[in-house]
Amino acid sequence: MFTHDIILIGGGGAGLRAAIAAAEQSSKLSIAVVSKVYPMRSHTVSAEGGTAAVMRDTDSLDLHAKDTIFGADFMADQDAVEVFIKEAPGELIQLEHWGCPWSRDADGRVSVRAFGGMSVDRTCFAADKTGFHMLHALFQTSQKYDNIARYDEFYVTSLLADDGKVRGVAAINIYNGRLEAIAGKAVILCTGGGGRIFPFTTNAAIKTGDGMAMAYRAGVPLKDMEFVQYHPTGLPGTGILITEGSRGEGGWLKNKDGYRYLQDYGLGPPTDTPVHRKMELGPRDILSRCHMQEYAKGRTFEGPYGHYVHLDLRHLGEEVINKKLPFVRELASKYVGIDPVYEPIPVRPVVHYMMGGVHTDMNGSAPLEGLYAAGETACVSINGANRLGSNSLTECLVFGARAGRAAVQYAAAQGAPSSQRLEALARDEQQRLDRQFLRKEGGKEKIAVIREEMQKAMEDGAGIYRKEEDMKRTCQLLRELRERFSNIAIEDRGDVFNTQLTAALELDFMLDVAEAVAHSALNRKESRGSHTRTDFPKRDDENFLKHTLAHRTPDGPRIDYLPVTITRWQPEERKY
Amino acid sequence: MQITFKVYRKDPEKDGKPGRSNYSVELDEEATVLDGLLKIRDEMDDTLAFRASCARGYCGECTMRVNYKACFACTAKVSAFTKKSPEILLDPLRNIPVIKDLVFDWDAFMWNKITAVKPWLEPDESSTNGENLLPDSTMADLRKVMSCYYCGLCDEGCTVLPVDFDFLGPAALTKAYRFVFDPRDKAGRERLKIAEKPKGIWDCVHCFEASEHCPRGIAPTERIISIRDKAFKVGITNEKVARHHTSFAASVKESGWLDEGRLALESEGLTNIKGLMKLLPTAARAMARGKAPIPYLHPKRPGAEQIKKIFEKGEREKK
Ligand SMILES: Cc1cc2nc3c(=O)[nH]c(=O)nc-3n(C[C@H](O)[C@H](O)[C@H](O)COP(=O)(O)OP(=O)(O)OC[C@H]3O[C@@H](n4cnc5c(N)ncnc54)[C@H](O)[C@@H]3O)c2cc1C
Ligand code: SF4
Repeated sequence: MFTHDIILIGGGGAGLRAAIAAAEQSSKLSIAVVSKVYPMRSHTVSAEGGTAAVMRDTDSLDLHAKDTIFGADFMADQDAVEVFIKEAPGELIQLEHWGCPWSRDADGRVSVRAFGGMSVDRTCFAADKTGFHMLHALFQTSQKYDNIARYDEFYVTSLLADDGKVRGVAAINIYNGRLEAIAGKAVILCTGGGGRIFPFTTNAAIKTGDGMAMAYRAGVPLKDMEFVQYHPTGLPGTGILITEGSRGEGGWLKNKDGYRYLQDYGLGPPTDTPVHRKMELGPRDILSRCHMQEYAKGRTFEGPYGHYVHLDLRHLGEEVINKKLPFVRELASKYVGIDPVYEPIPVRPVVHYMMGGVHTDMNGSAPLEGLYAAGETACVSINGANRLGSNSLTECLVFGARAGRAAVQYAAAQGAPSSQRLEALARDEQQRLDRQFLRKEGGKEKIAVIREEMQKAMEDGAGIYRKEEDMKRTCQLLRELRERFSNIAIEDRGDVFNTQLTAALELDFMLDVAEAVAHSALNRKESRGSHTRTDFPKRDDENFLKHTLAHRTPDGPRIDYLPVTITRWQPEERKY
Repeated sequence: MQITFKVYRKDPEKDGKPGRSNYSVELDEEATVLDGLLKIRDEMDDTLAFRASCARGYCGECTMRVNYKACFACTAKVSAFTKKSPEILLDPLRNIPVIKDLVFDWDAFMWNKITAVKPWLEPDESSTNGENLLPDSTMADLRKVMSCYYCGLCDEGCTVLPVDFDFLGPAALTKAYRFVFDPRDKAGRERLKIAEKPKGIWDCVHCFEASEHCPRGIAPTERIISIRDKAFKVGITNEKVARHHTSFAASVKESGWLDEGRLALESEGLTNIKGLMKLLPTAARAMARGKAPIPYLHPKRPGAEQIKKIFEKGEREKK
């Protein structure tokens, strides 16, 4: 058994920020970062566009707060948003001191660019590999602290809780297959999102919602899971993201007639240079819906991977593209054989981000003693019904740091967990794994088949446009898949690098997360932010200005609600 | 198209002997090697072990050799490898302990070495209240080196590592560069000291294989050379390879060609009695055969004055 004070599950942006925050509190604390991949393979690495904070005199905290709340379609908790906005600039400067190579203006200051739904330029970036550079700066900084221990390629299978408190985690050492108990006084979940419950996503193969499912199984509700963000510009086929930064720099969306169609949906007038919150700089939920409507009108292109429109960057010129968007050029030529300097890029909406997650307060604390969550896996909530691009990297920093500090405070008052008790809990977990996977005989179902059917069910019932009967069918299908999953076949009985076992565990987690999404969606009888119902096309503040909480029960999710915190911004119609 | 993947297999829990499995897979024109592997695992053989994370060429996790060329499985289009034959060989990286199938031991290979160069910024604490003002050109250079994927392809191509596994290797030394050349870093000379320790910058043989291999165009070999230059500039010159460089240049400058005896002595260091003693047997044998000129008594070659002028011009320009 390993013993630490604080355990971080996840080595992405949120996890590493939390680890550093905890380590900085005291060199006496022992901190563990447990991650199923080496930290710099975490999905934060792929964030391209940038990270938002008020960095200039022309901007203000109130304006950033207002944009965020408006973007969230008033589902964000406004007290949390205010804390977020206030601490954001300090975090970005801190990262600068830790070596993040932000892009600079001529005067040497950190540059800012326009992003969707933001009223001013406030998105800092490191060319178009922002998340990559942030993650690497955090990873490098984390290595400085002797009291941060890393468990790379350890797969956490469950939280170990006892007596209403989290006492540690059970994790498989992927190298040798051993299930280890890792004891900790506090556990922080930083396991990222779960876009892989959908078939077509910008998310890495490892984004399977593990942390959400683990908390859910430990009795913690998942909040606002129905809000799934589609990003309007993914490459057809692969789902590779073309960053919003490309529209921030002035890129245009055109339909098959070469027409900038967004002007037909109240986002106009079209201008040659980008105007904040207008046209291509509208928020993601609206832009994704506009795409679908263009498709319905027969004004999109048809290709081997379905309908698409054009993202045109040609007018920006080679110099701007090379300087500000070099990676977009690289991706487009590598994956669709198109050089954006000379040709428009084919794009279509793609599942990108989960606004919902583990229910926490502003300190990342979840309703289970000793459990914290931060980053995409948590729902604080600042993103509400629709996250604004570039707020989530900042969220990883602000709330990662807050959760790290809060966990330290909590841990200080706790005695060491009983090792006997933990060993027993770990043995139970080993038995579960044996029973369910490793020693089970006669399974018939294939992981890949169930995964594919789940993804299809999610796309059919919980996509951009949703309606009652489709969602019901999806909920039904997910129940059946859960049933079939219990008959899964695991052929690989080896201990070393058994990737079939991890695939099964991931699917097991995804099935839980998918159910929470589908049921939360079915129960929200209104349209708000990314959740658009054709049978309830209007926002309904009277009945639904409240957070969804999904609780796990043997028969599927039980849904209840929680009021949204409103401080200074009264709900109004969301128009751009 | 129908592709046959011939995949390296090794299972430490069975006999641990390497072998190959063949899988015939139907893939479309656009498919990548990773698509093929995922299909094999999903539909044919889920005991096959390989690593993958982002699946989009962002993260460096799926490094392997495709038809003996080291690359990322997720960006390697199968069509690029099947022009001559519909067969694709997949192997783990060279020179690294294999754990299972295509999965190898990153820790021994690279991470431990990267940690050894203390890869974190030591900021000047006196300026921590605001953002540092810095030209974008400096940041652009750092972004370039920092865009290193930790993929290990440079180490894989390195010609020193197969001979000396303890050599820090291009990936770690490229990390050292990233900090040596960051104007915000205050560790300065300490950093160079780490890089110039035995098994560090001086052990690089400048074969440029690392630069050839790097998928990010980071040019690790050139970065190592830059650190060496910087070490010279700040006066870190009393090291065997450094002395070798200095002596080589001094000899050619003075006589127009290489005084080999002198080079041997000065590389060892004129005060390094132990080192010099080691040279004696070789020197004696060489002299007996008339092959070793007496050090320092070495005639100038014709045109030596011209050569000296070239050196002097170079030195002036460098200043
Ligand atoms: C393509 C793309 C581009 C984006 N661009 C932007 C952008 O420009 N701006 C912006 O603000 N946001 C962007 N986002 C969103 C943002 O990148 C993510 O929300 C954020 O990086 C999530 O960070 P995280 O630390 O929460 O999780 P991740 O970085 O996903 O890390 C999760 C960690 O948890 C670990 N983990 C998970 N499960 C387990 C388990 N069972 N056991 C052990 N470890 C586990 C993983 O190994 C990993 O280390 C983008 C997202 C995508 C997909
Ligand atoms: S320097 Fe290049 S080849 Fe070496 S690890 Fe970094 S990206 Fe890979």
